[in-house]
Amino acid sequence: MQQTAYRHPEVRVVRRASKDGRPERLGRTLRGPRSLSSGRPLRAGPVGGHLRVTVIAISFALLPAAAHSETIEEKAQVCAACHGENGVPPEQAFPVPVIWGQNLGYLFFQLRDFKSGARKNDVMSPLAEALPREDLMALAQYFSKKAWPKLQQPHPPADVAALAQRANASVVCTSCHQDGFVGAGTQPRLAGQERAYLEKTMTEFQSGARGNNPGMTDLMKSLTPQDVSALAAWLAAM
Amino acid sequence: MMRIGKTILLAGAMALPLGSLALAQETGGGGGGAAASNVPIPTVGQPMLNNAASDSKNFLHTNGNYNQTRFHPANQITTGNVKNMHVAWIFQTDLRESMETSPIIVNGVMYVTTSFDHVYALNAQTGEQIWHYKHDMGPITVYCCGPNNRGAAVYGDKVYLATLDAKLVALDAKTGKPVWSVQIAEPSLGYSETMAPTVVDGKVLIGTNGGEYGIRGFVKAYDAADGKLLWTFNTIPESSVGVWAEKDATGRDMHRDIAAEKAQLEKTGDPYKTLGGGVWQNPSVDLATKRIYFVVGNPSPDLDGAIRPGDNLYTDSLVSVDLDTGKLACYFQYIAHDVWDLDATSPTVLVNVKDKGGKAVPGVLHAGKTGYIYVHDRKDCSLIRFSDPMVSQKDRWVLPSPTKPLDSDAARMFPGANGGVEWSPIATNPALSLAYAINLEQEMTYTVASAPYPEGKLWLGGAFTNVPGGVQAGNITAVDYDSGKIKWQVKTPQPMIGGILATAGGLVFAGESNGWFKAYDAKDGKPLWKFHAGAGVNAPPSSYMVGGKQYIVVAAGGNVQVDSKRGNSIIAFSLD
Repeated sequence: MQQTAYRHPEVRVVRRASKDGRPERLGRTLRGPRSLSSGRPLRAGPVGGHLRVTVIAISFALLPAAAHSETIEEKAQVCAACHGENGVPPEQAFPVPVIWGQNLGYLFFQLRDFKSGARKNDVMSPLAEALPREDLMALAQYFSKKAWPKLQQPHPPADVAALAQRANASVVCTSCHQDGFVGAGTQPRLAGQERAYLEKTMTEFQSGARGNNPGMTDLMKSLTPQDVSALAAWLAAM
Repeated sequence: MMRIGKTILLAGAMALPLGSLALAQETGGGGGGAAASNVPIPTVGQPMLNNAASDSKNFLHTNGNYNQTRFHPANQITTGNVKNMHVAWIFQTDLRESMETSPIIVNGVMYVTTSFDHVYALNAQTGEQIWHYKHDMGPITVYCCGPNNRGAAVYGDKVYLATLDAKLVALDAKTGKPVWSVQIAEPSLGYSETMAPTVVDGKVLIGTNGGEYGIRGFVKAYDAADGKLLWTFNTIPESSVGVWAEKDATGRDMHRDIAAEKAQLEKTGDPYKTLGGGVWQNPSVDLATKRIYFVVGNPSPDLDGAIRPGDNLYTDSLVSVDLDTGKLACYFQYIAHDVWDLDATSPTVLVNVKDKGGKAVPGVLHAGKTGYIYVHDRKDCSLIRFSDPMVSQKDRWVLPSPTKPLDSDAARMFPGANGGVEWSPIATNPALSLAYAINLEQEMTYTVASAPYPEGKLWLGGAFTNVPGGVQAGNITAVDYDSGKIKWQVKTPQPMIGGILATAGGLVFAGESNGWFKAYDAKDGKPLWKFHAGAGVNAPPSSYMVGGKQYIVVAAGGNVQVDSKRGNSIIAFSLD
């Protein structure tokens, strides 16, 4: 039977508010991180295959010499541009995951993999490459201790949720991601993660574009695009 | 501070020299509120542990006694009166996640563990909390299949626990405070602990998880007093190639491509360094010969045999080593070069068995994920017989097919990767020569794909998935280990995982994923009693006596592997 992929309704969620409580306007050019090693702005390469996003310097200057004397809170500031100052990733041209409250071991493994090249991302790879291992662990600890933000993503319709549950019963996602999909240790939390990021991640595991977990690649190959889309919507609403 | 009845105090005082009275408290990282309870905390001597098989008051080892028979000698609850059994008390832990703990009971004090390595000392008569230890988990934990813990061990004035971050921790039995802690192995490489330790003659024995990661398995012995490492037995020898066995223990051809394996060996050498071979269940201990018997898990990666040529010794094997030195005594491999994750995991049991000539000899039983109970000669590990199959063997040995997107023709395997008998301990009734095993029957697909070990991430070398809408069932099977014949079998609506207990009251007790906890007649499997626990009962039950009453106790916390409903209860039952 041919199924149509579940298309999630486009919901405009104001992801960030300025200090006076009014929604902040987000320009077409995204603010982003600056290289910790060179101090130069980072350039994000083609994202999603089409879009080139120029990442310009964030508002404060980070000089290489100063990098070593910074506190971890200061170092973490660079992450806020994409991952959100309050843990809610602002709307931007490519899906960005929630990292506040994500599990420590998982965050560390991903930073480690960005540094080693096992996982590749035009923004993350140069950032991780520039940092010593201790800083990767300290950053992972810093973000894991924050409270997971509620993105208020809508529940999918019942038939979509049923499709997701059927896929989960086959793959048994919870055998690693735990009851309630909250993960633990080096296994990531999926519950309440950004929907588009979940879908992109599963799709990239499937295609091998994300290559740092061959087990996930093999598991995802048993799922249809409909399954993946349904799982993403179902998990995002948790 | 509430005082409990005199009976328990007297019972404790008569049995053993007392430790101090423990007051309810939290240790480690803290936890939920503590109930008040004054109970004398006993010390546990080696003679007491040695005599556990005839001690109807206590349940001193994960599987009852050093022989791991899970036969408890208390006989107050019988086939005749079990219908009157009801809840005596319920204790709720602070963790609502998979529970696989075997409650340990010493003179009215119970020790239970939870997922993420909490330990509770409870008053076994009332369920009140004495102390609670919450393990301060390290930053990196790498484990598959749930944050489980299967229980604590008791010895002297200490309680021992092995943790997900691969530590061995000794707690003060009186207070729950850590006395010493050692790092067993490096967690980021894929080592973790979920098994309960075994303590004997001043040694704490512990294996390792990691068969789904590129580890090299081991059993280690530590000094119970201070945690000093005494010996290490590597479950994977530097020469792991073996004899190129083409048939499994039951004589079936495994369809190995031995020429290809030999070519690979030539190219990449012996794969012993990342070959897996976890030991994640307790060894049995033969006190007479000072030898221990354990089973070794699957080779890594689970499904991809191409990159690990050879028999992959001693994976999927029964192994015996000398208790004092850790030197190999004998081994028997069930499946050479396993590509199905059908590892040997259910703990070994030492009983006397009839040899091929009908003569009673010291034997070893192991229930395989393959769905057979294997009967061995304890002297040299040789196989005397294997039982009738407890589950279908229809897809044995279909090779996994290459991983392809949406492959509707992917290789089918029934039963699937969990068994047969998973980690679930079996029980025995020596008077009936019966072994009781719980089985899973899950229809799965198996696919294989080659990839190098991804540093601390799951390394299955492919995937197994449940067939959507496929069979998900189970059974309880009683096998006569002297003949290999199935004596009785009860089908269950869901796959069975968690373990089973037999008692001198002629009963066996087992829980189900759907929340039912049931008692059966040990002779014929007739169901005699049931209780719905509200969450999956996927843990091994224990039996004990306190204040002159027999109790049956079991954890109802659900299970990660079969994704049954989670809970957080320890439930004790008695007759009145």
